Amino acid sequence: MKDQHNNIWIGVQDKTNDPALEEITKQEFYELPIVDALADEDMMEKSSPNRRDFLKYLGFGLGAATVAAGCEIPVKKAIPYVVKPDSIVPGVATYYASSFVNGGDYCSILVKTREGRPIKIEGNPSSPITKGGTSARAQACVLSLYNTERTQSPLSVSDGKAMSWADLDKAVKSKLTASSNVRILTNTILSPTTKQAIADFKLKYPNTQVVTYDPISSAAMLLANEACFGDRVIPNYHFDKANVVVTFGADFLGSWISPVEYAADWVKNRTIKDASHPKMSRLISVENGMSLTGSNADNRILIKPSEQGAAVLALYNAVAKLGGGESVSTSTSVNAAAAKALNEAAKELVANQGKSLIVSNSNDKNVQIVVNKLNDLLASYGNTISFEGASLQKQGVETNVQTLIKEMGAGSVDVVIVNGANPAYDLPNAEAFKTAFAKVGTKISFAGTVDETTSLCDYVAPDNNLLESWGDAEPKRGHYSLIQPTINPLYDTRQKEASLLAWADNNISYLDYLKQNWQNNMFPAQSAFATFQGFWDNALHDGVFHAPKASTATAFAGDVQSAAASIKGSSGNDVEINFYETVNMGAGQYADNPWLQEMPDPVNRTVWGNYLGVNITFDGKNAYKTFRDLKQDSKGNTDFAKITTKGGEVTIPSNPTFGQMDNTVSAGLGYGRVKVSSTGQMVGANLFPMCTTNDDGLTQYWAVCEVEKNGVDREYACVQYHNTMGVKGKVDGTDDLINVDEKVLGIDGYQGSLTGRSIIYNAHVKETGPFIDELKKKRDFADHLNVKTLYPGHDDKYTMGHHWAMHIDLNACTGCAACTVACMAENNVPVVGKKEVFRHHEMTWLRIDRYFYGDVNNPNVVYQPMMCQHCDNAPCENVCPVAATNHSSEGLNQMTYNRCIGTRYCANNCPYKVRRFNWFDYTTADLWPANEYSINGEELPFGADNLTRMVLNPDVTVRSRGVIEKCSFCVQRIQEGKLLAKRESRKLKDNDVKTACQTACPTGAITFGDRNNKSGKLSEKLKSPLNYLALEEINTASSVNYTAKIHNRNTKMDA
Amino acid sequence: MSAVISPIREPLVNGHKTYHQITEDICSPTEKAPGKSWIVAFILAVSCLGFGVACILWTIWQGIGTWDLNRTIGWGWDITNFVWWVGIGHAGTLISAILLLFRQKWRTGVNRAAEAMTIFAVICAALFPGIHMGRIWLAFFVFPYPNTRGPLWVNFNSPLLWDVFAISTYFTVSLLFWYTGLVPDFATVRDRARGFRKKFYNFLSFGWTGKAKHWQRWEALSLVLAGLATPLVLSVHTIVSFDFATSIIPGWHTTIFPPYFVAGAIFSGFAMVLTLMLITRKVLKLEDYITLAHIESMNKVILLTGTIVGVAYLTELFIAWYSGFVYEQFAFYNRATGIYWWSYFGMMSCNVLAPQFFWFKKLRRSIVFTFFMSIFINIGMWFERFVIIATTLARDYLPSAWSYYIPTWVEIGIFVGTLGIFFTFFLLFTRIAPVVAIAEVKSILKTAGDQYTGPEVYEAEKRKKQNEHAQ
Repeated sequence: MKDQHNNIWIGVQDKTNDPALEEITKQEFYELPIVDALADEDMMEKSSPNRRDFLKYLGFGLGAATVAAGCEIPVKKAIPYVVKPDSIVPGVATYYASSFVNGGDYCSILVKTREGRPIKIEGNPSSPITKGGTSARAQACVLSLYNTERTQSPLSVSDGKAMSWADLDKAVKSKLTASSNVRILTNTILSPTTKQAIADFKLKYPNTQVVTYDPISSAAMLLANEACFGDRVIPNYHFDKANVVVTFGADFLGSWISPVEYAADWVKNRTIKDASHPKMSRLISVENGMSLTGSNADNRILIKPSEQGAAVLALYNAVAKLGGGESVSTSTSVNAAAAKALNEAAKELVANQGKSLIVSNSNDKNVQIVVNKLNDLLASYGNTISFEGASLQKQGVETNVQTLIKEMGAGSVDVVIVNGANPAYDLPNAEAFKTAFAKVGTKISFAGTVDETTSLCDYVAPDNNLLESWGDAEPKRGHYSLIQPTINPLYDTRQKEASLLAWADNNISYLDYLKQNWQNNMFPAQSAFATFQGFWDNALHDGVFHAPKASTATAFAGDVQSAAASIKGSSGNDVEINFYETVNMGAGQYADNPWLQEMPDPVNRTVWGNYLGVNITFDGKNAYKTFRDLKQDSKGNTDFAKITTKGGEVTIPSNPTFGQMDNTVSAGLGYGRVKVSSTGQMVGANLFPMCTTNDDGLTQYWAVCEVEKNGVDREYACVQYHNTMGVKGKVDGTDDLINVDEKVLGIDGYQGSLTGRSIIYNAHVKETGPFIDELKKKRDFADHLNVKTLYPGHDDKYTMGHHWAMHIDLNACTGCAACTVACMAENNVPVVGKKEVFRHHEMTWLRIDRYFYGDVNNPNVVYQPMMCQHCDNAPCENVCPVAATNHSSEGLNQMTYNRCIGTRYCANNCPYKVRRFNWFDYTTADLWPANEYSINGEELPFGADNLTRMVLNPDVTVRSRGVIEKCSFCVQRIQEGKLLAKRESRKLKDNDVKTACQTACPTGAITFGDRNNKSGKLSEKLKSPLNYLALEEINTASSVNYTAKIHNRNTKMDA
Repeated sequence: MSAVISPIREPLVNGHKTYHQITEDICSPTEKAPGKSWIVAFILAVSCLGFGVACILWTIWQGIGTWDLNRTIGWGWDITNFVWWVGIGHAGTLISAILLLFRQKWRTGVNRAAEAMTIFAVICAALFPGIHMGRIWLAFFVFPYPNTRGPLWVNFNSPLLWDVFAISTYFTVSLLFWYTGLVPDFATVRDRARGFRKKFYNFLSFGWTGKAKHWQRWEALSLVLAGLATPLVLSVHTIVSFDFATSIIPGWHTTIFPPYFVAGAIFSGFAMVLTLMLITRKVLKLEDYITLAHIESMNKVILLTGTIVGVAYLTELFIAWYSGFVYEQFAFYNRATGIYWWSYFGMMSCNVLAPQFFWFKKLRRSIVFTFFMSIFINIGMWFERFVIIATTLARDYLPSAWSYYIPTWVEIGIFVGTLGIFFTFFLLFTRIAPVVAIAEVKSILKTAGDQYTGPEVYEAEKRKKQNEHAQ
């Protein structure tokens, strides 16, 4: 070979004319294709890297590193289906009809599942009871499924060891003999099939008794109705048929018996359908602290808790006098202002005979008998109250559990099976219960999560979560409702009914048992279906089944005279505390649900704890006075109040509030859980031990107390510092009404600079006409101000296509906060905990502003749901330096999270302050775990676990630290609706898109839709002359229309 | 020459300096080992800087939640400090550019330090828009660069974006201006130095030899930069004020902001120049170059701008009342009497009332009084920004959203850290560069040196003439 390279050589091979080199230099691309080379393992093993390889690897490495570094969040797990289940289409939600049941709480629901996991609760429109509405509690129940601290298998409590079900069954059965004294301790059981299973258990163990009580009891009503009508039941109330409703402490819009049902009924007569002929019912609330119902009432009559019996009697005698009934003699009396107001109320009631309704939450049988007689006098029975379809949502009588304590103390009980009840926490004499309970031989709990009672038991046979269970419910007589599982049990749990049946040696699956029971009892009650399978499939599909049952109640036959004689009068001048059931916590069974803890109390606007409501009054000069000088400032500080009662003492933060009766205080129950999942531990204080017992052994939810200041709480978690919008009062020595809120702020020289804002409008129903004229004038003036524009000629921009908008009827909104929780669930809104809410870092996209107006010492309330207003001239959009928020052609104000750099300029420039910033790594989305935020000192930060993250809605981006987020008008639902319409080759209809807040609302206060669709529901609502836009004169052109608040206050009742 | 100068003009260089003495006096601090007070001050400044850096890293690691801002108050100390520092940065350019164009000779004594201060203040200021971002690692999104996201451009409507351009332009021009002035002086230092220092200053002086052509180009460049910088003096703070003025929040949305902010910025800038120069002239023994005449001149500017600011405050109040717009009325009523009344009180007393003492010549020429006044004004101007930002946001349209804000230790730490950055840079500057522009002072020596001008010389001339006449 000719030495042709002798002048240019690179390596020694060149110089020596190595034949191998000669060979490869002939092929320019000798190493390609590289894939083949890489695939050839032999070659790879043999070959050693050369310079070109090095460069390739370097290039590949650099490229890979760049790609890897460019992806912020690596996808951790994506496992495709090998065989796709028929029922699951990835990306498409499946809805299952089911029921939310917890004790007596009931709501018919649809469970939305995505890829086999439940993520959202919707109301079931097929239900004649809840009619598609939901409560905050129902909305939040899906989160409890994914609680990381659920009991994961059967447990032997003493050594804390997990057991197998076989071992547990063996252990339990060894304790059960035919002669054992067995007690099943439970709260109200709504399920007929559970009751059947207990009956079957009883056959095997005949000395079994069921002890039913409710921590927040309606026992007096049950007993009174038994005494008066021979039916131990709560009747069916028809709030929609009443023109005048008087409630003595019963918070029927918030927490009393069946609030979803009652709220929907009550609102029917509260919305203004025809503004030119406005009609409205009247609600009078007789109470001491402002309840959710009281806040919606037209008139509140303030009485001390101990005066309730006297107040009922006073009203009774006044009605009897006017309406011609026998009056009763009584030694009791109410305060003068209340007596006067009750007389006025009596006039209205008598004028509305047959169209009035009296309810009371009194747990004194005698009071309830008088209430029944009062309803009887007013011809309510048969009109606004019926016994057909009577409510079964409260069945417990607490004297039963007191008897049980005695039995247990005497050592005569062998086995106690605790079915979800938590008496070690929620009995006034929980300590006595604990002592007696320790003497029971075998204690078994069905609780799925740890609680105070379960931790005292010997065995835990954990029940499935509601969403993993089969079951049924009969919340009202003849109204049946099915529960079906929407996911396989996450842990080694078993339905409690299956446990009972197994211990009774009946090894049938509970589904078969349930079907059997329905075949035997429900199927014969209908005629539409010939076969059981058809009936069953239909019931399961609808979730509900209605088979009217005839009432067995008799005519009123109570002894009102002797009842009246037994009613005790007021306790005198002592300070009294009223304990109430909050909208979110119930009797404490929801304490481990972070969504409910984070949901602001509708009236107090506080979260994560119970706060002592104390009175605020105007001093007649220029300041507010508070009870015992317990102050709250606008810097997030409030005074701690020490409450001392016979049942002990606790210190909780005070919450000075309008509408609280002087010399009384009130606080919510259900807080201060000790043994509970860590997110709910030690939040607030337990007040059950302070409740008292009356002569009949029934729990009284009030006590005489002493209140004193005890330091300052510097972590007062309240989301609203300014509470009033036009409260009026008299200055000392004059009769002129002035704006007290402005006077107190020292701005009375600028009348209207606070209350003249176009945020809230309200008027009396009789003044609707002049009010409409005034509103029109204001809106015209705003239009006039908004005529000038820098960019004219764009008005027709939104006339084509969709133009989304919302309408919120402030008369229909009761403030129940179901929408707030629904929004958190739908939009993956993070939970931040008490400290962060105190720092005003709450993330809720939808908040419900609450303003007091009217008489400063006895004000009315308006609730205003406030979320992104989707302004067509959005102030947030033009200020973002990186265009991370912009406007869609359909009028949506859009937020692009991955473009957002977090300058917060948009949040500053939002007049409605609805934008939320991710201050910390709340969603645990950062790549490193070191800065995850734990909300209640728990070890595993809430949301950091993959299990909790299963609740996330896959259609909504989880936002990372440092970005702004806000209401999107549920843009994912709009998209879903559009796709549906497209698939069906038709135009989008109004009903195709409903926002999460809209579907959650029990009263239909929220309507979402396309305002270009002139025949749609929204367009209909937008026609009302009572509508307005918040802050219209600043020309944001917002898309959320509010209907002004109309009230029906009877000023003659004012003192 | 002295004959054409008015006898009432004070000399601007005292001590019968020769050119050589000027060189000696001004170069000597860069040639000696630092004194004890410098070392103490430097350690203190670096410690503050270190703490500030730690706070910034903590913020970035943990999140903006380490600050006490909230859903209602999205900006607090961060943007307050930003505006405050930008304002301080205004005196330098004003002195170098506008006073150069107006041929004010007294600028030569203070322009170097003032320009240095401008640069350091703008560095401190520029820090805040960066670290106040929730996701600082994506801060490059604010630059309009071609990209593969569409391309996705920045939002040219946003005042924050205008800030990016305004601040970066201002910083660039100020830096160029400052450095241009330093070149001949670095050459002077170089010519006196040996060894490494000589090399170092040779590099810094870009091989300046003092040729006539160099001087000619240098003069031309100075003039061009002065022309460029003059509009910037007005534009930078105007644009910063747009952050507020173009918004919709009552108390922010006012057309008076641009002039009011510019006046305030000059006001605070001069106060900071005074604070620094009063110490520097004492420590570095530069009393002959930074004379009472200089101090009095600056105090006059402070009196003027302070009064403009005062008029602006009162105008705001009047307009709020006169507008009849309830939100505006409330916003201003709240500023003065609401929960943050103390910051409004601090602003009013430090910015409007305090400078009025400068109507008295005696006080204008009192070094102690001027020093305390300069501190007051610095505090007052900080309060002004706090009042505008935090108190306005705390009480805006919806009372339901009202909130309260107090800073956390992290926010305070970052502010202390910027003070540390500022003083660290300034202390290094006094060790490395001549703090008075040698060449420029020399250029005015024969027209403003005390042996050539001023009442003394005038008297002497007069006596001489009288004597001649008598003879």
